[in-house]
Amino acid sequence: MDDPILHTSSTFNPQVIAAIQERAELGRYMIRGFGAFRNVPRLDDLVFLTASMTRLPLEGYREKCDTRTVLGTRFAKRPMELEIPITVAGMSFGALSKNAKVALGQAATWLGTSTTTGDGGMLPAERDASAKLVYQCLPSRYGFNPKDLKKADAIEIVIGQGAKPGGGGLLMGQKVNAVVAGMRTLPEGVDQRSPSRHPDWIGPDDLRIKIEELREATDWEIPIYIKMGATRVKDDVKLAVKAGADVIVLDGMEGGTAATQSIFQEHSGIPTLPALVQAVEALKEIGVYGEVQLVISGGIRSGPDVAKALALGADAVSIGTSALIAMGCNKPVYIEDYQALGTEPYHCHHCHTGRCPVGITTQDEDLMARLPIEEASTHVANYLQSMVMEAQSLARSCGKSSVHNLEREDLVALTLEASAMAKLPLAGTDFILGQS
Amino acid sequence: MTESLILSPPTLDCTGLTTREINQQLKKLAAAGADTVDLLNPQGRHNLAVAIEAPLKVRIRGPVGYYCGGLSEGVDIEVDGPCGWSVGENLMAGRILVKGNASACAAASAHGGTVCILGSAGPRAGISLKGGTLIVQGNVGHSSAFMMQAGTFIICGDAGHSLGDSLYDGTIYVGGEIASLGADAQLAPMTDEDNALLEQQLSPYGLATQDYAFKKIVCAKQLYHFKAQDFSKFKDAY
Ligand code: SF4
Repeated sequence: MDDPILHTSSTFNPQVIAAIQERAELGRYMIRGFGAFRNVPRLDDLVFLTASMTRLPLEGYREKCDTRTVLGTRFAKRPMELEIPITVAGMSFGALSKNAKVALGQAATWLGTSTTTGDGGMLPAERDASAKLVYQCLPSRYGFNPKDLKKADAIEIVIGQGAKPGGGGLLMGQKVNAVVAGMRTLPEGVDQRSPSRHPDWIGPDDLRIKIEELREATDWEIPIYIKMGATRVKDDVKLAVKAGADVIVLDGMEGGTAATQSIFQEHSGIPTLPALVQAVEALKEIGVYGEVQLVISGGIRSGPDVAKALALGADAVSIGTSALIAMGCNKPVYIEDYQALGTEPYHCHHCHTGRCPVGITTQDEDLMARLPIEEASTHVANYLQSMVMEAQSLARSCGKSSVHNLEREDLVALTLEASAMAKLPLAGTDFILGQS
Repeated sequence: MTESLILSPPTLDCTGLTTREINQQLKKLAAAGADTVDLLNPQGRHNLAVAIEAPLKVRIRGPVGYYCGGLSEGVDIEVDGPCGWSVGENLMAGRILVKGNASACAAASAHGGTVCILGSAGPRAGISLKGGTLIVQGNVGHSSAFMMQAGTFIICGDAGHSLGDSLYDGTIYVGGEIASLGADAQLAPMTDEDNALLEQQLSPYGLATQDYAFKKIVCAKQLYHFKAQDFSKFKDAY
């Protein structure tokens, strides 16, 4: 007999069935690492109208294309001056191994850009490795220390992140070893649930005073960023500017995390593409575009992503997951260890387990030894460099002598969704969905 | 500002100065090794004596706003009046004595030192406390000691609803009534060590342990780990 034709329900597909049965065992929501798995309209859905007869390209290999980026020019005496428009996002020591944190710092330093601490304080080795370090002020305040604050090159007040806007962080007990517990003042081995609200202020009016406190503590020297997960972007951006931010960091729903409830990753926040467009509009509406800088993150993977984000109006992008992938996350090595976690290379999202097969998201000494700092730093630096070159190539082909001169005019949309979200014409037409 | 504003013994009149000028002046005095400074006419201003890293004694003659003494290490502040939100926020070491009432979030996320409120404190007192000691002679509002992680929190009066919700560790003592305990907070028996500690902490402020019937609250540790089938507990707690 022929093989039977198998029917698959779209409503109860194999993933849904497995998820129901897993929760039937667990009696709670599921927790995982990585960002949204679902497909969303993204920067991939835009293409550049590079130079031809109407525009003149720059020579791809020779002519200068500036990448210098300055963040925090509004109030700080010492803005953040970067060589490239790509920064490394906040990821905690605790979620990440020490080697991973140091490698990110070193790679950022080599490229003349900044890296960021995370939920768990500033690691001395990370400060040493990073020429420019952004110090996060998170709701948990784990390890927050005025001495470290004074060593920072910028402060990032974290309101939320794209993977879990409105939700607090999680660090499962297997990663809360003696060192991590000590830095966070927590009982060793506890399943740590970070708060989702700051302890010392509630709304934007209080935040204004909080920002003044941080500026007083740092003598108004360094910029203050406000990082948010993208939800009600227009209002949130305006309120953050009113509260006194120098820089807005906006994280779309593709943004990653080491652990959160999977429902947040899939069902909350808006994608990076529309978030970016709305943030730029908000800044323009209140007349601070250019004065308050915008950093966009969440699923940035390539030079084209960088170039498109800048063309849509961002001053810089920030990367997290893709930097970890550059250093070996999901690489097809130690395959049996991926299998022991119930996964395979290219499918791993098991950062929450603390058993990272490639030594990135773990506190286990043996696993961490699989991530030599020099090699990891080189890979991240190479990857950053390649993205910068790609973005420059696209900028030159559009005739721009700086990546910051890319503009909306250089882009069109390939899909109706992207046309509506980016408010750009559908390729080859004058049609903008929702506007025309 | 002009040097003429610094009299001997050091007195700083806040009138006409920006907060930045006041704090710069305090930092200068601290660096010069001054041991006491009187701050006059604070007028409820926010962010006074922030991030002072010296044993400088700052006597503030009047009410202050938010974040008084925040992010400091080793400072000795006295507030002759009430204070706004988050007094002693993220204090690392030193002492802050408030002679009036405190608003919300007193000693939020303090890591060390002592914050003592001789009046009452508003909601979320001792939120996220990470060490040190918070003493409130009067009452505290709801959600006090929320997510407390370490340290000692002594409330001589009554505590509002949800005291110690989701705390990880540390010890809370309450001399009066408790409206309700939060998730994972539980009463524990008082021991001789507890009484000795209360005596030692309270006597410098002229407070007598025996005037209060102290109860002790600690973490029940039922939420330390995600578990299956703790139906009601986890639904309410997360
Ligand atoms: S390989 Fe490591 S870092 Fe990458 S998803 Fe798996 S556990 Fe996380």
